[in-house]
Amino acid sequence: MPKHYRPAGKKKEGNAAKYITRTKAVSYLQISLAVFRKLCILKGVFPREPKKKVEGNHKTYYHMKDIAFLAHDPLIEKFREIKVHRKKVKKAIAKKNRDLADRLLNRPPTYKLDRLIIERYPTFVDALRDLDDCLTMVHLFAALPAVEGERVQVQRIHNCRRLSHEWQAYISRTNALRKTFISVKGIYYQAEVQGQKITWLTPHALQQVLTDDVDFNVMLTFLEFYETLLGFINFKLYHSINVNYPPILDPRLEALAAELYALSRYMSSGRLPGNPETNGLIKDKETENNEEGSKTVESELRLAQLQHQLPANEPGTLMHLVEESTADDTEDSTVKECRSLFKNLKFYLSREVPRESLLFIIPAFGGTVSWEGEGAPFDETDQDITHQIVDRPTQSHVFLSREYVQPQWVFDCVNNCIVLPTEYYVVGRVPPPHLSPFVDNDEVGYTPEFEEKILKRLRAASKDKVLPLPGLGDEDQDNSMVDARSEYNEVAEKKRKLDMLEKQYHEELKMEIEGETFSSLANKKGDNPTHAVDNDAHAANDQVDDLVEQAKKDEAEMSKSFVSNKTEGLIRAIEINKERKRSNVELLKERKRKASSSASAKRK
Amino acid sequence: MGHADQDRQPVNNDGLSSDDEPWSDSDEGSLSFDDSGSDDPDEDEAAAGESDSSEDEVGPRNTVGQVPLEWYKDEEHIGYDIDGRKIKKRDREGRIEQYLRNADDAKNWRKIYDVYNDEEVQITKDEAKIISRLLKGKTPHANVDPYPDYVDWFEYDGEGHPLSNAPEPKRRFVPSKWEQKKVVKLVRAIRNGWIKFDKPKEEPNYYLLWGDETDTADNKREGLSYIPAPKPNLPGHEESYNPSVEYIPTQEEIDSYQLMYEEDRPKFIPRRFESLRSVPAYEKALREGFDRCLDLYLCPRTHKKRINVDPESLKPKLPSKKDLRPYPRTCYLEFKGHNGPVKSLSVEATGQWIASGSSDGTIRVWEVETGRCLKVLNVGADVHAIAWNPSPERPILAAIVGHDLLLLDADVGDEETKMRTKELLCVDEPTPEDDADGKKPAVRWVKHEKFDGITLIHHKLSKKRSHHPFRKLPGLPVAATFHPTQKMFFVATKKFVQVYDLQKAEVVKKLESGVREISSISIHPGGDNVIVGSKDGKLCWFDTDLSTKPYKTLKTHKKDITSVTFHRRYPLFASSSEDCTAYVFHGMVYSDLNQNPLIVPLEILRGHLSIDRRGVLDCKFHPRQPWLFTAGADSVIRLYCE
Repeated sequence: MPKHYRPAGKKKEGNAAKYITRTKAVSYLQISLAVFRKLCILKGVFPREPKKKVEGNHKTYYHMKDIAFLAHDPLIEKFREIKVHRKKVKKAIAKKNRDLADRLLNRPPTYKLDRLIIERYPTFVDALRDLDDCLTMVHLFAALPAVEGERVQVQRIHNCRRLSHEWQAYISRTNALRKTFISVKGIYYQAEVQGQKITWLTPHALQQVLTDDVDFNVMLTFLEFYETLLGFINFKLYHSINVNYPPILDPRLEALAAELYALSRYMSSGRLPGNPETNGLIKDKETENNEEGSKTVESELRLAQLQHQLPANEPGTLMHLVEESTADDTEDSTVKECRSLFKNLKFYLSREVPRESLLFIIPAFGGTVSWEGEGAPFDETDQDITHQIVDRPTQSHVFLSREYVQPQWVFDCVNNCIVLPTEYYVVGRVPPPHLSPFVDNDEVGYTPEFEEKILKRLRAASKDKVLPLPGLGDEDQDNSMVDARSEYNEVAEKKRKLDMLEKQYHEELKMEIEGETFSSLANKKGDNPTHAVDNDAHAANDQVDDLVEQAKKDEAEMSKSFVSNKTEGLIRAIEINKERKRSNVELLKERKRKASSSASAKRK
Repeated sequence: MGHADQDRQPVNNDGLSSDDEPWSDSDEGSLSFDDSGSDDPDEDEAAAGESDSSEDEVGPRNTVGQVPLEWYKDEEHIGYDIDGRKIKKRDREGRIEQYLRNADDAKNWRKIYDVYNDEEVQITKDEAKIISRLLKGKTPHANVDPYPDYVDWFEYDGEGHPLSNAPEPKRRFVPSKWEQKKVVKLVRAIRNGWIKFDKPKEEPNYYLLWGDETDTADNKREGLSYIPAPKPNLPGHEESYNPSVEYIPTQEEIDSYQLMYEEDRPKFIPRRFESLRSVPAYEKALREGFDRCLDLYLCPRTHKKRINVDPESLKPKLPSKKDLRPYPRTCYLEFKGHNGPVKSLSVEATGQWIASGSSDGTIRVWEVETGRCLKVLNVGADVHAIAWNPSPERPILAAIVGHDLLLLDADVGDEETKMRTKELLCVDEPTPEDDADGKKPAVRWVKHEKFDGITLIHHKLSKKRSHHPFRKLPGLPVAATFHPTQKMFFVATKKFVQVYDLQKAEVVKKLESGVREISSISIHPGGDNVIVGSKDGKLCWFDTDLSTKPYKTLKTHKKDITSVTFHRRYPLFASSSEDCTAYVFHGMVYSDLNQNPLIVPLEILRGHLSIDRRGVLDCKFHPRQPWLFTAGADSVIRLYCE
């Protein structure tokens, strides 16, 4: 807070001192709201929720430390400079002082964001963790029309395209792509870089329309940061695989809008031994590795020494090391799996197929790919092509040596990590439903038919694994259930006995009244009771079920009477949530049932 | 003036030299004064002498001067000549003559009548031309060029003398002050680097920002803890371009979304496309990106613990029920016989008999073990409450029937006791036996508040009189009970329970229940714990030593609690409610004061039917066994056993 006189004992404390509303923050920093917004976006400062909202409920609160953090940033001064510069230019133009205006315009004040990036993401993994939004945004802007006079500068769109291609080239090169999904909104990709799962969305390869309902200032500020971030990340990633950054591309391919292919070629060539620079890099790397290796040996020795000092029964830390190494192995195996999925397969893309995404995906899984058009590595008549990807109602000229599949096949193969049979994806056929790889079907409680019936089986078959039998896992639960049941059986048994006795008693009474002899009674007893007992057993079984259910319910209710109001609300919320999930699943099942019944009716 | 001379001299010189060339060039058509002069000598003279010279030549005949001619209008003469002779007016020509002269003489149009001299003057052709040009607003002579090219006659080069004789001013020799100022400014700007001439160095845009990551202490984010933004939701099956059929809502469902509130409405309606090529661009892509941006920089972020747990684990872990046995679990016997709701029941001290009062106007006495109805007493009005004498020697029943308190002989037990009770009830005056018997049991035996609730009448049976301990109560009294060992009395009003010392006749304690309306009260046989049932289905356990607030409030029943009761021996208590259930709880009170009482719900007892929206009206424990009797509105009494 600005320091001014405050009467004794009136010092602000607690939430009133810790948090500041946005309006006050803006006036405290002596900047305009627009600049404040820009600063917040670039610095990654966000409002916080104080425990007690001193100034009112409907205000946005920032933490005082955050605001102080903004106030100390040199960027704030830079923004002022920019403002002043703009005024100077305006003044010069208004005074017809052309040279001054030119001189000023030649040297506008600029600022760099690298400091901010290292401040916000001190380690590389931090940056990777937050990369989802960045990639989605950059890919979105890469899909915008690069037209002069629009609200977005052409140069920035081109920059976004370049960055996104570089990123994709890296992912493709390192086989880091894991999952893909064609949605209505675009194509989702999930990659794993340094153990971080990164998901991003690319719009479909159709140009977006710039709408009026968005504030481009905000988006462009975000983009500004994201562009820088992605640039540095790309640099780091390229550096890690010994490729120069920024890459220099074949202008011919670039002109043909096959930048991705150009990039991948660049990358593969960058590893050639003829390149002295990279060679040196590799050597450096190797020496580093050696050093690291010696270091690890040392540290292991230290660990062993420490191990002696530790009490003997402690589980060794060396175990950890072993585990880690095995974990590394498994990771390698997934990468290997990904690399070898489309190995020895040669793809050819038809004109109507979304080229960019397939050029990205197929090499990422080890396949070779070409396309219809100039600059393609091989053309349609190549005899080695195993799969041609087509998205048209009929294919006129057919090579017998290859299979013609729809693009969805590639995506489904990738998601299931097996090469699926092409019969479902033949040209002209409506492909089977495309399922999201991001959904945990068990958690949702509903598995779509295609997944359940076909994909699971195929996956299992490819891995030669036997699926565990359902219901083996929850033995404990069963046991407890059995317990409860036996208890209630006992009770019911008792009750039944009582009933029997009572019945018998009544019958005897009746008989007594009727005056029947014991002998006839014995006869009757011979045929009657077995029947009765049977019936009874049935009824009793039902009763037992009822009782068990009732008891469960009772128990739940009773223990509920003990929890506090807060917990009760929580429990209720959880139950409502569960109920909602269940109703959703019910709805799906209902629709499925209806659809299948109508389909069967049609068939008839 | 010397300057002017200098100017003129060269003009003359030059004029002479260049005279011939331009003027000889001019052809016949372009007349000048000189030219015309050379053509016609008469005219030349006139032109040289200018216009007044010609006037001198001719000389006006008339010498009157410039006087108005009107003065001579009526005269014969128009003036005088130079000799002073009158000049006679001429006769005016007729029109015809004029016309004829005009026709005869071609030059006649050039003749002008001079009114002043009274004569005709003939002008020359040139004069006529000049006149006509003047009339047109042109220069009188046709040869005059009004806009001639400027010829600078002065030769500047090679002149030895300046044009002006003035000495050179000082400013010609001194460098400009203003220029110097400007230069200084520029120099300073350059020195200070405000003006740069070399292009800024192209620094590499990207470099290895994250160098070695081994030093972890350096790699810590400063400032406040960073709360990463939640990642956007991953797409489900329904977002696929080609989802399964079950994910696509029917048209009716889509229509029904319109009726929903906007926030409940699903934001995304799944669609199905036959092939990938038919998928259009997503029109909300920018909008969604923008929304995400807004979320990122405008939404307050907090760490929220997301509980993804089984709701069962949130409930407290209760001790196993098996360890808390015995407690009533199943219905063992039903006592049928009443024709109306059984409002109250009471168990005899030995546990052999129970008495029940119903709203059909009867009191029945039952044998517990067989379920046989021993006796039916017809009292003729609603029985509100009923109680046995706690002393087993005198089986006397007290019942509230309408507005009366009846003491009835239950007529059970062996002959001796029957006799004794008869004796007791027959005597009007207090007997010595009663005194010997002690007051306490009698006092503890009956309790009731009058149903219209105005006063709480304390009945003292041994003295056969009542007294009103509470003159003032905070609200209507609802239930009352005696302390099991001390001379204390608990009265429950709607919200509070007052503990009243009978000996001192004053209020000792006031318990605040916090429930809406108390309906029943019961005391633990130890005397320190009280349970209170309320009409909002809550049951409060008070530890009177601990505080005046409830130690625990249990929300068990959905409807009003009608009665609560403790077991005298076992650590059990029960509550019965209008929702046709009775709950049995384990309520263990430890002798160690530091240990809180343990309360465990054990069983929900069902079986009664709801009649007239009333369920179980009363419940009582058996004095020795862990059995519970419940009196239902369905005119049945049930006995629940282990």
